[in-house]
Amino acid sequence: MSPSRLPSGGAVIDRSRPIKFKWNGKSFTGFEGDTIVSALAANGVDVFSRSMKYHRRRGILTGDFWDPNCFVQVGDEPNVRAGHRLISAGIEVSAQNVWPSLERDVKAANGLVGRFLTAGFYYKTFMKPATLWPKYEKILATFAPGGAIDIESTPGRYDKRYSHPDVLVAGGGPAGMAAAIAAAEAGADVMLVEHNHQLGGHLLWGSAEDQKRAASLGARCIEVGVEVLTDSTVTGRYDGSWVAINQRNVAGETIERVVKARAKCLVIAPGLIERPYIFEGNDRVGVMTSGAARRMLNMYGIKPGQKAVVFTANAAGDAAAADLADAGVEVTTVDGRTGADVVRASGSGDRVEQVELADGTVYEADLLVTAVGWTAPTSLANMSGDRPSYDPSAARFFCTSLPDDVLPTGGLAGDGSLEENLTHASATGRLAARRGLTMRNQMRSMTPRASTGVPAPIKDASEPAPLPRANHPELFRSTTHGLVDFSEDVGSKDLWAAAAEGFDSVELVKRFTTATMGPSQGKLETVNTVAVLAEYLGQSIEEVGTTVWRPPYAPVSLGALAGKNSTPHRISSIHVWNKANNCKFIHAGAWLRPDHYGNAQAEAKNVRDNVGIIDVTPLGKLDLQGPNVPDLLELLYVNKWRKLDIGKVRYGVMVGEDGVVLDDGVTARLGEEHYMMTTTSSGAASIWEWAENWLQTERPDWDVRIVPVTTSYTSINVAGPKSRELLLKICEDVDLSNEAFGYMSARPATVAGVAESLMLRIGFTGELSYEVHVPAAHGLKVWEALLDAGKDLGVKPFGLEAQRILRLEKGHFIVGQDTDGLTRGASAGLGGLIKLDKDDGVGLPELRWAADRTDLAQVVSIALDDGMIVPEEASQLVDGETNTIVGRITSSRMSPNLGRSVCMGQVIPELAAPGSKLTVLLTDGRRVPAKIHTDHAFIDPEGARLRA
Amino acid sequence: MAEGERGKPAKYSAAGLLRRGLKGESWPRVWQEHELRTTYDAVIIGAGIHGLATAYYLAKNHGINRVAVVDKGYVGGGGSGRNTAIIRSNYLTPEGVAFYDRSLTLYNEMSAELNMNVMFSKRGHLTLAHSDAAMRTMNWRAEVNKLSGVDSSVIGPGEVKKLVPSLDTSLASRYPILGALHHPPGGTVRHDAVNWGYARAADALGVEIHQQTEVTDIFVAGGDGPQNKGTGGVVKGVRTTRGDITAPVVVNCTAGWSSLIADMAGVRLPVVTHPLQAAVTEPVRAFLPAVVVSGSLHVYVSQTARGELVFGAAVDPFATYSTAGSLEFAEGLASHVLQLMPGISNLRLLRQWAGLCDMTPDYSPIMGFTPVDGFICDVGWGTYGFKAGPVAGEQIAEAIASGKTPELIRNFALERFADGRLVGEKGAAAVGH
Amino acid sequence: MLLVPCPNCGPRDASDFKFGGESSSRPDPRTATPEQWRDYVHLKTNVAGNQKETWYCRGCRTYFSLHRDTVTNIFGAPQS
Repeated sequence: MSPSRLPSGGAVIDRSRPIKFKWNGKSFTGFEGDTIVSALAANGVDVFSRSMKYHRRRGILTGDFWDPNCFVQVGDEPNVRAGHRLISAGIEVSAQNVWPSLERDVKAANGLVGRFLTAGFYYKTFMKPATLWPKYEKILATFAPGGAIDIESTPGRYDKRYSHPDVLVAGGGPAGMAAAIAAAEAGADVMLVEHNHQLGGHLLWGSAEDQKRAASLGARCIEVGVEVLTDSTVTGRYDGSWVAINQRNVAGETIERVVKARAKCLVIAPGLIERPYIFEGNDRVGVMTSGAARRMLNMYGIKPGQKAVVFTANAAGDAAAADLADAGVEVTTVDGRTGADVVRASGSGDRVEQVELADGTVYEADLLVTAVGWTAPTSLANMSGDRPSYDPSAARFFCTSLPDDVLPTGGLAGDGSLEENLTHASATGRLAARRGLTMRNQMRSMTPRASTGVPAPIKDASEPAPLPRANHPELFRSTTHGLVDFSEDVGSKDLWAAAAEGFDSVELVKRFTTATMGPSQGKLETVNTVAVLAEYLGQSIEEVGTTVWRPPYAPVSLGALAGKNSTPHRISSIHVWNKANNCKFIHAGAWLRPDHYGNAQAEAKNVRDNVGIIDVTPLGKLDLQGPNVPDLLELLYVNKWRKLDIGKVRYGVMVGEDGVVLDDGVTARLGEEHYMMTTTSSGAASIWEWAENWLQTERPDWDVRIVPVTTSYTSINVAGPKSRELLLKICEDVDLSNEAFGYMSARPATVAGVAESLMLRIGFTGELSYEVHVPAAHGLKVWEALLDAGKDLGVKPFGLEAQRILRLEKGHFIVGQDTDGLTRGASAGLGGLIKLDKDDGVGLPELRWAADRTDLAQVVSIALDDGMIVPEEASQLVDGETNTIVGRITSSRMSPNLGRSVCMGQVIPELAAPGSKLTVLLTDGRRVPAKIHTDHAFIDPEGARLRA
Repeated sequence: MAEGERGKPAKYSAAGLLRRGLKGESWPRVWQEHELRTTYDAVIIGAGIHGLATAYYLAKNHGINRVAVVDKGYVGGGGSGRNTAIIRSNYLTPEGVAFYDRSLTLYNEMSAELNMNVMFSKRGHLTLAHSDAAMRTMNWRAEVNKLSGVDSSVIGPGEVKKLVPSLDTSLASRYPILGALHHPPGGTVRHDAVNWGYARAADALGVEIHQQTEVTDIFVAGGDGPQNKGTGGVVKGVRTTRGDITAPVVVNCTAGWSSLIADMAGVRLPVVTHPLQAAVTEPVRAFLPAVVVSGSLHVYVSQTARGELVFGAAVDPFATYSTAGSLEFAEGLASHVLQLMPGISNLRLLRQWAGLCDMTPDYSPIMGFTPVDGFICDVGWGTYGFKAGPVAGEQIAEAIASGKTPELIRNFALERFADGRLVGEKGAAAVGH
Repeated sequence: MLLVPCPNCGPRDASDFKFGGESSSRPDPRTATPEQWRDYVHLKTNVAGNQKETWYCRGCRTYFSLHRDTVTNIFGAPQS
């Protein structure tokens, strides 16, 4: 086969615009509008790849997006579909997975041993000796198909778009265009999506008259306001008529995008995909479908061969024979409708040289065109819940049970003349418009306060008259065996062998042989696989059934699926200051938080010696108002809340209904019916929803209003023995004396001139400290005022790391670090806090039962005998020299204030008593002695500093 | 042919391939087809890895081979054929480690044991840590693993980069890789081969596999619930779409529908069905030498011998029996994997699918006896059932044969929910692949 | 993506919502036996078919009940 460009013709190329590109390092020239395949074919190239297993040469089979023989590498992009991708100036195209070259590939030697490499052969060998398997595995991996990715490549720009059409039409052939036009004329917002570069479908590779028809329909689409996306594929239809479109020709720098459309009604008009015929030698270079031959001839002006045999069983094949003859190809027609059959394509190399018929006739030919029927691409119907059924008289599948908002037209719905198709499609479009608009009106009516003005649906649209189905002979396999899956090198013989072995259902045969699993996704292979299996089993195709087509309809790049990679984080108003002042940040949930400012040990020491300030804005804050707030608090926390005075603060722990610790924090009573709850940073959102859930579903009679105010305030903890002194300088309207504003109290305040601030005297760090909440817009001002006013007091900022040290010195646990998914309230050292004599409380029964349990791990403070050792967090506590685990270290730090390490951990109850001896297994394997510390707190167990 | 006796199956070997290749002979059936009998010693519901392994070990270890494995679809068509086939034993609790390590041992020996190459690719397993908290959990797992003799260690970003060069280990990333739990014995296996291997080996020992045979009811007598089912009852057999079967033992080895099957016996399970989705890309040349998991980003990925990347994520956010899948899964997956490997944005997603997972409150399975005598469950496997299939089958078979709960599965009994003694794998297993 | 019919906001993308699971009723914590309580906490009906369940709308911050077919994911009308 030696393809060449004809002197004229080619509907989609522009001969006045030559484009230079490279193929396997050599320069070639094509025209604007050429695909890689057509441009190469114009230059006489007929081999584009090697097959996966036997590395046979492969040429054009379908010459479009689905062609399994035309996968190439373009620059750093693997698996480019050369039958679809347009050439552009300077692209470097190369054959994939060949060595040393496409024409001379050493792995072609596999063809010699092909009969031993039956499908699934690898399951039956390489088992002994087991030590050799990893080596075999490496060799097998070299047979993997596909191009190469460049892991160092810089990702390009990808994007997303949302769309809300009344009618979305998948497929821009004549039927899709007619449906879109009719729907738009009936008042609907319509989006029309076409997989190829131009609207037109099969009209594009038809006669001049067909092409003219395509152009006029396309023009009409624009006139009536249809939004047309070309080189775009509807890749999936999901629950809620949520439709994904992969748009590959976005203007500008964007490489691809995913359009997400809430289609009120979906019209599926994908046309039909031509099936290859199964016979000996059907993968030889020069064997192609009628569609491929006509695309080459009529779209690109390429003469695909010199002497052709056309095996035809339908009008498409007849047209291909006529087109080839017109182009000067010597054509022999073999009519499958009369019982004639092609049994073999043969030749000395991998190319076609002779074609043998069932009656023994042999023709010399360099081109064998087959037109044996169609696969209905029912993917979108499948994804809409349809189970297609096979019609033997038409030799293809049809939809059976589509939902009302999915309407098929064109080849998916039947056959008939172009005019009949257009009539069906127009009626389908009108019906789609009616249903789409009805749905849009319905959605509006379900939305209180929605705007009006949606057009009313037309009334006179009804189900289209069904399209006739043309008789088509069931031609799947000749009397010889050939390839079924060209991407996977799986033949009909392999399928039969698999069925003989018991892999005799379509799913099993697919899995065992990998037929239909390759990059062409079964578009060309599935129906042939089913037919070959049915033939072997002596069953009908309907009985064997088909596999479920899964999304995406066409492969989508990860870049397009991901879209713009935007991963924002949250920052507080103090962030700018932190950034400018040597702060090392840490990601904590969605927040970027200050971890330290160079020396966490010094920061922690300064808090104990002088005063430090830390930005704790992410701390969850909920403003609670209403008469029933105490009831809510008593329900959510394990302790009691009905007797909290105004201006007082109390600590509480929350558990779930299973009694497992959920969150902790303090709540302040600010007024008669006004409270502020603080939660952990990670609980800020979830505890709000948790509280709302109780209020709305279990206690709807309670009057409590919750407003999340986490980011309404900038929160600063001022901690250290000099914190009062510091605040005195910038806060005038609050009596800060211990008598007037004692530990666990709250006061409204004006801080550094910022009114409507709030101060809580609490102490996670174990020091005299004030948590200052100021309106967020003024956070930075207050922060800077504190630093300025505290210069002579030695004020320094401190970060989370210092706070972790300080709280550990004080023996305060962190939910989720020192507790885990099994920690009950009673085991977290909260025995005294939990009040069981309540009427109700979340998880109250579990708390009661847990109080009686003696087998729960306890949260304890631990001191290693050698205080210079800081055990890695997660170091295990073991029983002496054995490997029996009795607990673990959950937190550990060197204490700058004690000059020794301090730890918290969980331990079995038998070892939880103060003074109990423990063995810590360090991560380096050493076992070192430790003891349960007398108090939870290492520093100030009496709380004198807190209360100073 | 006498009952339970069968000619030895043709042995799979390179020599066999060569001989049959030369002669053009085909291989005998992997498993036989049978008429459904009216009585068996045990009926196992579900021809996935759990059911088939249970049947195999019943026959092999305990000589119980009058066993029917029934399935409403085909062998390995549920979760066993839809998972991402990752094998590991680096769990968090000593019980979990001991259990999965036994499974790993069985996987190591499987190709030889079943005379089927299951292509266990011991390529190493990396669980990435993007936060201090995650690093702490990795350390915890590594320490527990070491104490149990399991090869696991925490490695730094430099070593991670050496093992998997395509990962972005720069600390500027939004999800910086602070380190990883490296588990060299972990890897992937060819899931279908495991299913077929157990089916073939069980069949050779006399077990009958009945595909397209759906259980529609379970017969129970003497129970204190409706229809005399439930607590205190004794199982009598099952009704199937191909006829009734009498059997003293009925084993529920299903996923997705396990609570509905248990309902048929009057046993309620703490199970909610969520879909778990997975996807593959087009094949490309090998570049990803290890299994990579990121809990924070809810993604796990490995490259198959065929060159495809196989991805999985966390279960879908709402309960459903639908396996239609979602676009959001594919979008989230792509976005997350590109955070880890920015260089693969032009790789294309080829296919997505979903399987059904039975999620339990403590992300641990439910194994062993139930309040209905003779009705045994091996369910609730969440997202991690495949890697446990061999050991679960072995232990359930032992439970059936001995009438006692084996030590290895004691913690996973159904009673633990009523007793308030949940298993502590939740933290480690949330995206535990 | 599912379109969840919120009683206040109308049909909206499921990503605007939190799924709250099947509806269950809470026993009296003063009198519940461990068995009753843990049934409530852990056991689900997990029906394959029509299920009454809770959703939380993150737009209007409302919890509401819905009926959904857990096989087809088709919703019935919303209930407050």
